Amino acid sequence: MQAKTNALSQGFIRCDDCGFLVKTGNHSLSCPRCNSHLHARHPHSLQRTSALLFSSFLLYIPANIFPIMTVNQFGAGDPHTIAGGIVELIDSGMIPIGLLVLVASILVPSSKLIGIGLLLLCTHFRWQINARRWTVMYRIIAFVGRWSMLDIFMISILVDLVNFGEVQIIAGPAATAFAAVVILTMFAAENFDPRLLWDNQKNL
Amino acid sequence: MNSTNYDACPECDLLLKPAQLKIGEKAHCPRCGLLLSRPRKQSIERTFALSITGFILFFPSVLLPMMGITVLGDANTGTLLSGVIALFNENMWPVAIVVFLASIMFPLVHISLSLLISGHLYFKRSNRYLVTWMRWMYHLDEWIMLEVYMLGIIVACVKLMAIAPLKFGWGLYAFIALIIITTLLTSNLDNRLFWQRIEQLRKENNNAS
Ligand SMILES: [Zn+2]
Repeated sequence: MQAKTNALSQGFIRCDDCGFLVKTGNHSLSCPRCNSHLHARHPHSLQRTSALLFSSFLLYIPANIFPIMTVNQFGAGDPHTIAGGIVELIDSGMIPIGLLVLVASILVPSSKLIGIGLLLLCTHFRWQINARRWTVMYRIIAFVGRWSMLDIFMISILVDLVNFGEVQIIAGPAATAFAAVVILTMFAAENFDPRLLWDNQKNL
Repeated sequence: MNSTNYDACPECDLLLKPAQLKIGEKAHCPRCGLLLSRPRKQSIERTFALSITGFILFFPSVLLPMMGITVLGDANTGTLLSGVIALFNENMWPVAIVVFLASIMFPLVHISLSLLISGHLYFKRSNRYLVTWMRWMYHLDEWIMLEVYMLGIIVACVKLMAIAPLKFGWGLYAFIALIIITTLLTSNLDNRLFWQRIEQLRKENNNAS
């Protein structure tokens, strides 16, 4: 194989859905194998990703300020925020589980928000970067996103099981905001096109 | 230049000559390092067998009690579905829908699609929806959160142990088996081979008619 070239610069488009390589020029906009629309790069990748990212930033604030669940014991409520739940786990000696929740509910979402932000800045300003390293960062961001749902699943189990009249666990408003943050950042990562990182590099 | 002689990396768009791989070999993109293909032994047969197993395991894992606790003589048990219903009853319906989709609906659709597709390929039956099913299955992949739910169960258990002793039910064992089956399923499903076979079937079908 000769010098490393982008498929697009040779007039090829890879179908996003089935991986079929199509020679452009015959102006067909759908894949001959699977019929899905062909795009050389994800359409409006930067606009969509930034809109989704901005919405997640906004929702991230109520997700952390408001209680994610309230423990009602004999009429007296005890609201917990995400951070409060982690502190409680660590205080009661459950350090590994506390760290797990810390990673899934705080470190993963906040580093995702920052990471996608950096990827957007990088493509927008055409920074000359080590594209391979940034692609790996993108891959990690796309992979870890779903693990943040951990807290939401835990709440659905607790709300269901701890319901005895005198002792109750009630889901708080932050749960909705937090679930939305996880989903929006997953969509943001999906809409970002890592090929844009490579397109901007002058010497490849 | 004929497009069938080439391939492109999905993450960096490098134009490649597809390697003819043997079972057990892996091809990585030389520029960005992405795992491009990894042919699996008897991919269609295994996917078919695993989808049947997963489909059967799905129902006990959703409907049977996963765990239960007793507080002051009152006993409660929880299933995957009752967790969703409990959120609904607290007017947390957006969260309830998310939990329902990620832990019940999408896994069920995914396993049904994989059963349909691998079944058709196994019996060499053509179907005009094969392409659509294959695309849906591909897009559903990252929205299936069974393993994440399992972690949620573990954290919930740790929190509940402080309140009362826990008992585990058959639903949990079926659920763990289901996670193992779906993990094996995704690692045995050879996307590239499936697409090739689908196209082959369609061509044979077109020639016959
Ligand atoms: Zn690549």
